Amino acid sequence: MAEEQGRKWDRCLADSAVKLATGLGVGIVFSVLFFKRRTWPVVFGLGVGLGMGYSNCQQDFRSPYLLHGHMVKEQ
Amino acid sequence: MAGKILPVLKLATKVTIAGGALYVAYDSGLLGGSEQGSKVIGKAKAAFPPAVDEWVKYFGFELPAFPKIGFAPVEAWNSGVHSSISALSSGPTAVGDYTNQGLQYLKDLAK
Repeated sequence: MAEEQGRKWDRCLADSAVKLATGLGVGIVFSVLFFKRRTWPVVFGLGVGLGMGYSNCQQDFRSPYLLHGHMVKEQ
Repeated sequence: MAGKILPVLKLATKVTIAGGALYVAYDSGLLGGSEQGSKVIGKAKAAFPPAVDEWVKYFGFELPAFPKIGFAPVEAWNSGVHSSISALSSGPTAVGDYTNQGLQYLKDLAK
């Protein structure tokens, strides 16, 4: 079980790094194309990437304990 | 007429480029779940040397060989944490021992 926890951390950090880099890249593209090379779209992209990474990590760490319910409609 | 089309064309080009960048990010799985994201790093590492070789051939100059670093931070991290915390936990005891040894040595000198 500790092994699985370690693997989750590895996945989490790798994925967060990827998302951060992607956010930076997309932020730079948008900043250059639409916002006259201002800094804020880059920072925004970094924030979006960080948020996506955090959310994925959270989902991964909570995964055995999350319950998915299904609505059964009356026929 | 042409004066009105040009700004629209510029905007359309910019939107296409931005949309293309977003699509490439989505398509290569950069925006997916944890598993996908961590696999992308592996894929990028595997694809990097052939890409560098292609570019070198295209431009026709020799790049110096990339030094192989035998040290992987990922593997060393756990043992690093372990050694640091062990050192911290045995720190006060070790300091006490050394102090006692030092005092003993001074006492012996004073005799």
